[in-house]
Amino acid sequence: MKFMSIASKDLKELLRDRRALFFILLLPIFFMLIFSFAFGTMGQDNQPNNIAVVNQDNGVTLPNGTTVNYGNNFTDTMKSLKYQDSDVNLFNITQTTDENASNLVKQRNVDLELIIPPNFSQSVLEMEQSVQGSGNGASLNGSNTVSSKLIIRGDKGYSGFGTSLSILTGVVGSYQNSIIGALGGVDPEKFIQTSVEGIPGTQSFTAFDYIAPGMMVFAILLLSTSVAAMLTKEVESGTLRRLKLSEMTSFDYLFGGLLPWSLVAGAQIIILLVVAIMFGFHWQGGITSIILAVIIGIIGGVASISLGMIIASFAKNPPQASQLGTLIAVPVSFLVGAFFQLPQVVIGTFMGQEIQIYSILPWYQVATALRTVLTNGGGWNSVVYNIAAAIGLTAILFVIGVYLFSKTRLKSEKT
Amino acid sequence: MEGYVMEAQDLTKKFGDFLAVDKLNLKIKKGEVFGFLGPNGAGKTTSINMMVGLLSPTSGNVLINSEEVERMDKKTIGICPQELVLWENLTCSENLKLMGDMYTVPKDILTERIETLLKDLYLTEKADTRVSNLSGGMKRRLNLAMAVIHEPEIVLLDEPSEGLDPQSRRVLWNYIRSLRDDDKKTVILTTHLMDEADRLSDRVAIIDHGKLLKLDTPENLKREIGEGDIIEMTLPNNETKEYVMKYLEKLEDTISVVEVDGKINLRAFNAVSKLPKIVGELEKSNIQIDDLSVRQNTLEDVFIEITGTGLRE
Repeated sequence: MKFMSIASKDLKELLRDRRALFFILLLPIFFMLIFSFAFGTMGQDNQPNNIAVVNQDNGVTLPNGTTVNYGNNFTDTMKSLKYQDSDVNLFNITQTTDENASNLVKQRNVDLELIIPPNFSQSVLEMEQSVQGSGNGASLNGSNTVSSKLIIRGDKGYSGFGTSLSILTGVVGSYQNSIIGALGGVDPEKFIQTSVEGIPGTQSFTAFDYIAPGMMVFAILLLSTSVAAMLTKEVESGTLRRLKLSEMTSFDYLFGGLLPWSLVAGAQIIILLVVAIMFGFHWQGGITSIILAVIIGIIGGVASISLGMIIASFAKNPPQASQLGTLIAVPVSFLVGAFFQLPQVVIGTFMGQEIQIYSILPWYQVATALRTVLTNGGGWNSVVYNIAAAIGLTAILFVIGVYLFSKTRLKSEKT
Repeated sequence: MEGYVMEAQDLTKKFGDFLAVDKLNLKIKKGEVFGFLGPNGAGKTTSINMMVGLLSPTSGNVLINSEEVERMDKKTIGICPQELVLWENLTCSENLKLMGDMYTVPKDILTERIETLLKDLYLTEKADTRVSNLSGGMKRRLNLAMAVIHEPEIVLLDEPSEGLDPQSRRVLWNYIRSLRDDDKKTVILTTHLMDEADRLSDRVAIIDHGKLLKLDTPENLKREIGEGDIIEMTLPNNETKEYVMKYLEKLEDTISVVEVDGKINLRAFNAVSKLPKIVGELEKSNIQIDDLSVRQNTLEDVFIEITGTGLRE
């Protein structure tokens, strides 16, 4: 169990090195605070939310013989809505077909697509009639109601989706109420329902809710810098040489190192989640989501440790390892969408999932999974693909890291 | 290889065009303190790194107990490197425990060994002190303890007393002697300190520019260069140095005259009796002397005799 001794050594060194701890734990918290102020509810400007509307409504003929399309009516209403005390429209609406709307969502040209079903007008009419009936003291027989379902589709990992969704949900409610008017007595949900695919609605979704899990990924990615610096320090100080002379194997050293750093990754998730919640992150889910997030974080941590091994294979000293690590970790953070959403670059599909060019980076899968779990409240089933992909990609990275580090640092020196 | 624990056969190491070790051949006896003497940059550490399997030789072989060094049981050797190789954020005990674990020393035996080592090297009070808070001498002693925690058959000490105060050096030297005398270990000691090599070594190999120049006991080496005494002379200016050296070479019973570190070094039989004559001659020639001393032959003189120069720092 030599790896346990190495793990214990690494953990003690880590906990006793205050500068390293500061870098590992406090720096991401500091970034989290900055981003919470920058992208939280504070100082956020009103912007029109781009949505695509697919109106499949067949319309309805009123008892007086006129034909009405409530789908168009609802769309026009949405077009005219403005932010409170502002001239800025709530929505920038593109009316299109279902197929094109999906493309627009994928291209991030719109935040979401709203599908108004064929029987929408019918259900609105029934709601109006039931309101009138209720006003006349008549009771509504629920079994005869025509209900329609508004479908909202979008990229569950995209912050714009959450923002537009929350506003749209409110608008639908207002629309129902405006039809019902002050009469009351009718449950509008019996007539118009909304179905959100992939994300539960949130009431005050902000860009920070998208960024907070990204910051966790950024913190995890920064671990690669610390790991690389620590490994290079062992090389430079000669302690690795001392260990190489002993009966310790490469596995003992690298697996032993993996354990405390994985714990750090898990701890980072919890600490950053607490900080994020304190500063306005709308965390979805419960204890299960935290456990799931910690597991996801540990997978990301192992990927970062592997990256650290690769960096340490080439860096000559700890400052160089830190510089090289930062030089890699920061751009990779952007590439995996830690700070902002990237344009979609789909290179294929696998098991029904779109493969983007960024998907080959394990931290992209980690970021997506963390957002699904923490921001959107998704469970195990929602992230199983991302977790499987992250594990697979991390395993590849780990093998490369072990190979390079063992070859360059753990074998007898040739030169 | 009976009676020998380590053998280097035509051991050669090149770094690009630089020949660091040139066909080194030597055998180290079981239970001896073997001194590896040479100036900084002579190739001692490179040789040792190859001898313990840390560095691959360009050519040649190393046998440990008649086996290729690559196949050696790692417990056979304990190395105390020239630099302080310690985990600064761990305590003395934690450092020793870690290395003991790495050599699979059973827990109960390890606890006992840590206690004994800390006591022998006067570190008991610092057992729970982090290495970063130890003095240089304490770190050096702990560095040695790390090399022997697994009780290796061969202990390799690379310039162990570098930068030590006299008190710590005495502790270290006593411990090295006890390794040989009490624990029956083979100790390989590299040093550029003549005094250290002289006092501790059973045999001394003199190495310079990667080549083995001499290998014998300190007594034989000193005997080999003669019984003469050494006169060391410092002159205030260099212009007169050549004249003085030529004059000394012509003196009766002069064995050698060399310049070492700016000093004129005369080795001659019955050197003391020559002093009045030398001083008188130099006064006559108006040559001032800054410093003049007479001492007995040392291993350093052996080194000077062999290499024609003093130790490079």
